[in-house]
Amino acid sequence: MAKKHIFSKKRIFGEFSLSFPSMLWLIIFFLIPTLIIFAIAFKPADPLGGIGSGWTFQTILALKNPNYPQIIWRTIWMSCVTTFFTLALAIPIAYHIARIPPGRRDFILLLTIVPFWTSFLIRIFAWKAVLHPEGLLKHALVYCHLISPETLLLYRPEAVLLVMIYTELPFAILPLYAAAEKFDFSLLEAALDLGASRLRAFFNVYIPGIWNGLLSACLMVFIPSIGSYVIPDVVGGTDSMMLGNIIAQRIFVERNLPHASALSTILILAMLIPLLFFLKGKKNKVGRIKKSTRGIE
Amino acid sequence: MIKKSKIPGIITWLVLLFFYLPIILLVVNSFNLSRTGGSWDGFTLKWYAKLWNAKYVWTALKNTLFVAFFATIISTIIGTTAAFALHLYKGKFQKTHYCLIYTPLVIPEILLGISLLLFFVSVKIDLGFTTMIIAHVTFCVSYVTMAVLSRLQDFDMTILEASRDLGANTWQSTTHILLPMVMPGMLAGALLAMTLSVDDFVISFFVAGPGSTTLPIQIYSMIKRGSMPLINALSTLLLSVTFLMILVFQILTKHKKKQSVLNVE
Amino acid sequence: MKEFLRFDHVTKIFGTTRAVHDVSLTIHQGEIFSLLGPSGCGKTTLLRLLAGFESPDSGKIILNGKDITALPPNQRKVNTVFQNYALFPHMSLRDNIGFGLKMAGRKKAEINVEVDRMLAMIQMEDQADRKPTQISGGQKQRIAIARALIMRPQILLLDEPLAALDLKLRQRMSLELSLIHDEVGITFLYVTHDQGEAMSLSDRIAVMNNGEIEQLGTPIEVYEAPSSSFVAAFIGDTNFFDARVLEVLNKDYSRVKIMGIKLPPLLCYNDKQTKRGDMIHFSIRPEKFQISINRPQVSSKYNILQGTIEDIIYQGDHTRYWVNIGEDWKIAITRQHTRFMLDEKALNWNDKVYIYWLADDGYMLEHYSAKDEDLVEEPPQVIGEEITGKDQEEPCKSNKESVLSSTIKKSQNGSSSNG
Repeated sequence: MAKKHIFSKKRIFGEFSLSFPSMLWLIIFFLIPTLIIFAIAFKPADPLGGIGSGWTFQTILALKNPNYPQIIWRTIWMSCVTTFFTLALAIPIAYHIARIPPGRRDFILLLTIVPFWTSFLIRIFAWKAVLHPEGLLKHALVYCHLISPETLLLYRPEAVLLVMIYTELPFAILPLYAAAEKFDFSLLEAALDLGASRLRAFFNVYIPGIWNGLLSACLMVFIPSIGSYVIPDVVGGTDSMMLGNIIAQRIFVERNLPHASALSTILILAMLIPLLFFLKGKKNKVGRIKKSTRGIE
Repeated sequence: MIKKSKIPGIITWLVLLFFYLPIILLVVNSFNLSRTGGSWDGFTLKWYAKLWNAKYVWTALKNTLFVAFFATIISTIIGTTAAFALHLYKGKFQKTHYCLIYTPLVIPEILLGISLLLFFVSVKIDLGFTTMIIAHVTFCVSYVTMAVLSRLQDFDMTILEASRDLGANTWQSTTHILLPMVMPGMLAGALLAMTLSVDDFVISFFVAGPGSTTLPIQIYSMIKRGSMPLINALSTLLLSVTFLMILVFQILTKHKKKQSVLNVE
Repeated sequence: MKEFLRFDHVTKIFGTTRAVHDVSLTIHQGEIFSLLGPSGCGKTTLLRLLAGFESPDSGKIILNGKDITALPPNQRKVNTVFQNYALFPHMSLRDNIGFGLKMAGRKKAEINVEVDRMLAMIQMEDQADRKPTQISGGQKQRIAIARALIMRPQILLLDEPLAALDLKLRQRMSLELSLIHDEVGITFLYVTHDQGEAMSLSDRIAVMNNGEIEQLGTPIEVYEAPSSSFVAAFIGDTNFFDARVLEVLNKDYSRVKIMGIKLPPLLCYNDKQTKRGDMIHFSIRPEKFQISINRPQVSSKYNILQGTIEDIIYQGDHTRYWVNIGEDWKIAITRQHTRFMLDEKALNWNDKVYIYWLADDGYMLEHYSAKDEDLVEEPPQVIGEEITGKDQEEPCKSNKESVLSSTIKKSQNGSSSNG
């Protein structure tokens, strides 16, 4: 009698043919191009623009530019600050929305999600308009004697931070809301019943309860932030240049692709480290952190 | 009843205000005679008139829709098959498959952009509509897969068994049962792909060739050039389209919900 | 009765697990046949083998004289009512019911006539155009049944159809199912883990465990004459005894000595042939015992033991007692209240009582396994002492029962007997 097992030919054929289109596409147009970044870092630049022939270490050595460490550090630092403030705002917001009764909740959720559907560039531009030297906000602040007429609201790191937080917030609210929705709020009542203050209940019961959502939110904010390029370009100045700007400059202004490649490998490294933290920090379903030095619970 | 802290609520409303103020300001200024919006100089529609005459904007829009159309179709097909593979089969192969699909979602766009640029340059493909469509499909596939996958997870597979039990062969089961059930998920995925494609700037910027300027790229160069009022007008138009679409979508889903609520005993 | 469906030495293995092991079974035309057993016993697998969703690794399935083992599910004249109904959510109820006929290529007008007939039978004519998401669980069940019956299958398979319903609804639907069966006359193969359901509905039951059939018979046969300790413990409740045969008195009775406890020899009915020195196991169900304060005056065919009442659970129409007959052996006894209880002097904790039963009412098991004793309901445990120092009852598996138990105990102090 033919054994219809998990490993029947029919089943393997089905599995393979369903996975084939996406795997093929992503291998050719995602995996290989990513590997190419590493490869091109070892190629010289063509003086006329583009990639030269042959292989060399020169490109990698050129990374010793004294300006770079500062820029890399700034990129990481700004991303961290952005992540911190974004989460600091998103956590209470997600908490609040999850506790609203379902009827009104949909409306509020909609209000928070709508900016996500509007054009990314438009939102950045909207802030450029608001912070404009001759704009309304500037006039109002000068009028209130909060700043002098010469202060620029635009083209500075603070502006970059503000707009980054503005654009990243919906991405933080979503996973935090998803986690908050699944959270059993009677746990907080139990904590209060046992004598905890509201603050302690929040940090000792709620935060661990939404831990996976928190890590997801961190990731979803931090990683796009370190790759930020448009925001520093539009509202930032020369002292708020980030790694993304340098890469773009090398490509579009200097046509030096190998150099941009090499810089991108740094970006990839800067990205992998938080990714590793994320994977290690994720709680399994039982609620204990897999390999943790932290003593939660 | 334990007294709830008001702080999260206050933060929520402040942040929502923070969300909408710049946008509202933008819309208001599109009707403002003043170029910089520093003061209200009077109501005007001249910026919209200027926009109407800016041919380069409308060409860019046409390009955007062209790319979005093809990118949506291709990525929806690929994404849906991937979602089925991930849902129906478990094991090491699918785990690898899942990693491959998940990774583009967590990578900064600039990396995707530069990797594709380098790829096209190395393989000596000219930058243009083809490269643009390929790039868009690449980043949309993952989103479509996730959207369809989450719908599939609510899907009760025994329904397919029931269909075979009642005499349907594989083709009949697929066309009468499977496709109609999966269609809402596919549409959601397609909608997501289209939105992402229309709105994409960074990746498009890297792989665009001369003559394949999309609307976001056009807006970016307008921002750099400083034609602020025009951008105000254009933004207002785009925002209205988005809001309208969301409104229509809400009305449609609310209508469906009301119907099912009324009919349950 | 005519043989209608036959499983012939059917085996199905998943990985390293033998889900169904060499099962042979015959089902008669028109009967309601149940497969009863705990989860994982193979009953659902057997059902799916018949429906065609699994292929046996060895053996044959013969339906009405035809070997259907190799046929795919859509070509078998067998239809299934799924556990979670599996109604097509995007179709109206009318289209759901008519789906099978549509697949068979019947004309629209014909299909409508049949569907209307079905809707009338399940009394849902006015809801034909609704969607499955708009109806209740019991209604979904009826639609699922109609959808399967309209195909006039040779046999209808029901996979735990009442599992997802609450108690009252389950009782009602159980009745409806047997009414539908009477009206339609089709053979039913019913899979369940609920013994009450199986016993009330079925003409015959096959009790399954670990992929094999432990016993096949009518509900009465299976309840009163269980062939193994598993069947005795899985269905209803019982008391197990190991004994050694001291002497065979005549063809009907033997005198036996119970192992592990100092008791006088007992009289046992010879359900099977025994000889002196044999080890036997027998089971006596709790309702076969009688209990009284005074020594009963009964014939020599009765066995009489003495003991102390350790636990009482009052259930309204009957009371459950656990009587300690020595060395911590507790016998479970159920006593029906056939008289007005307030007139009687109720039995109390720690009362010294006589328990007695007719030797004929015990049953000698053919197969015995010690681990089946775990299936029997345990008397309540006393734990509270370590924590509070006082004698307290700890809620056992059946919470309702032990709450009643504690309530009875508290009210027993000095006042009149009232639960």
